[in-house]
Amino acid sequence: MPIWSQFPFIDVVMDRIDTGVLILNPQMEIQVWNQFMVTHSHRSAEDVVGRNLFDIFPELPRAWFERKLKGVFVLKNQAFTSWEQRPYLFRFQHNRQVTGGSEFMYQNCAFQPLLDTGGEVAYVCITIRDMTDVAVYENRLKDAMAQLEVVSHTDGLTQLFNRAHWEARFCEEVTRLRRYDGQLALLMFDLDHFKRVNDTYGHQAGDEVLRDVSARLRRLLRSVDVAGRYGGEEFCIYLPHTDLCGGEYVAERIRKVMCRKPVVHEGIEIPISASLGVTHYRCKDHSHEQLIKEADTALYFSKENGRNCWSCFDEQSVNPK
Amino acid sequence: MSDSLILSEDQRDCLQEVCNVAMGQAGDSLARLFNVFITLTVPNIRLVEAKAIHGELSTMIDAPTVSAVRQAFYTTKGNQGLCGESIVIFSEASFHEIAEMMAYDRADLGSTAEQELLLDISNVLNGACLNGIAVQLEEALSYSPPALIGQHIPVERILDREQLVWDQALSIKIGYSIENKAFQCDMLLFMPGVSLSHLLGILDMLLDDF
Repeated sequence: MPIWSQFPFIDVVMDRIDTGVLILNPQMEIQVWNQFMVTHSHRSAEDVVGRNLFDIFPELPRAWFERKLKGVFVLKNQAFTSWEQRPYLFRFQHNRQVTGGSEFMYQNCAFQPLLDTGGEVAYVCITIRDMTDVAVYENRLKDAMAQLEVVSHTDGLTQLFNRAHWEARFCEEVTRLRRYDGQLALLMFDLDHFKRVNDTYGHQAGDEVLRDVSARLRRLLRSVDVAGRYGGEEFCIYLPHTDLCGGEYVAERIRKVMCRKPVVHEGIEIPISASLGVTHYRCKDHSHEQLIKEADTALYFSKENGRNCWSCFDEQSVNPK
Repeated sequence: MSDSLILSEDQRDCLQEVCNVAMGQAGDSLARLFNVFITLTVPNIRLVEAKAIHGELSTMIDAPTVSAVRQAFYTTKGNQGLCGESIVIFSEASFHEIAEMMAYDRADLGSTAEQELLLDISNVLNGACLNGIAVQLEEALSYSPPALIGQHIPVERILDREQLVWDQALSIKIGYSIENKAFQCDMLLFMPGVSLSHLLGILDMLLDDF
């Protein structure tokens, strides 16, 4: 027997430690119920010792609990639960009455077999640790990480995806297509004479134009379409499950929506228009870089041929090097 | 650790035998616990180098993505005695079937329940197998709570090579599958450095007694 068990205050320690201790016999009758358990369950040891755990706490997940204990009895092995998967075993109040952040005490539990001299499991000791602080801070951290992720993917001015994130998503989509097949259209567009907007009306007006263009774009796209700001005044959109025809239809809508109404900044009307390039996924050899290049070539063609229009990439018109 | 450790043929045979006996006991315990017949592979024992661990892992585990759980084991001597980490790697798991086996309620089989299931199965497999080994080595093991390394991750992501603080470790791989169920997982026991020397010492003692 370890020396410390003879120490006179050991009972006091058992009642002072910041951990719940309860011991069950194989009939699920409570044998030991320390002060932590009394304090948080509002049930005294006299009240519960000798009685069946499930009679006193009918809300416990009985089937799950018994299976967990069966593992301890049969394998003579420890078992555990973590607050991350199972927030609590007993629904207790936590001690953050003032600081808050949770409605209950998050718990980590360990189930330990207590063996008799014959090596059989005589009792199971369950220890319960209050993990509320950890859980509250970890949940805050998760929220912060989620926000950071959004920020790192977003272009601050337009609230569209930034180029890096859009390109990563597009690359994933093309990889998926190469494996499973399907359709995809890619559109790239550029605002006509944008430099002139900046030079004539100032950069704040230019920013307002970019914001307005993104808002118009967002309104006309489907929720599955993925748009990003590719560079200064250049935008990119890929349309999953869409053929060239569908891509052309969307290109024409974007063209119309952009030139229909001027952008209004501080009472001044700034007319805008866009030139677009369209291409689509055709075969397994197609890389995402190649598709971007094609859309860009088509966009350039639109620019060269009068602007405020859209063009499709045509394989015939591309010189083989 | 400057000297590289080697396992003599006798030590390897002895460890193989210890593992085989433990496997048998583990299989029996698991069968009683779940009322199913569990198939275990012959333990595959090898010394692995930290710098070659990713190659080793991809050779040992043939699956594009896996879910993995880690759990530490140690004796009262802590990291001066027999100790290490077990990594249970799930390459195929039909959660509904496993959930039934583990008496989970189908209704609450969400993503956290799925994680809890992986942790529970790992804990049970580790306990069944390691306790069997420990008894023969006349050691008593304690365990850390099991913790999720990741779900549906590539095999190389199981161990971050940059984080490894050991050069060489003993690995014991045991495969588990359940008859008539879509379930396959592998347990990898890793014992690095001091723990390995300690284990070799115990094996030598067993061999002397023999």
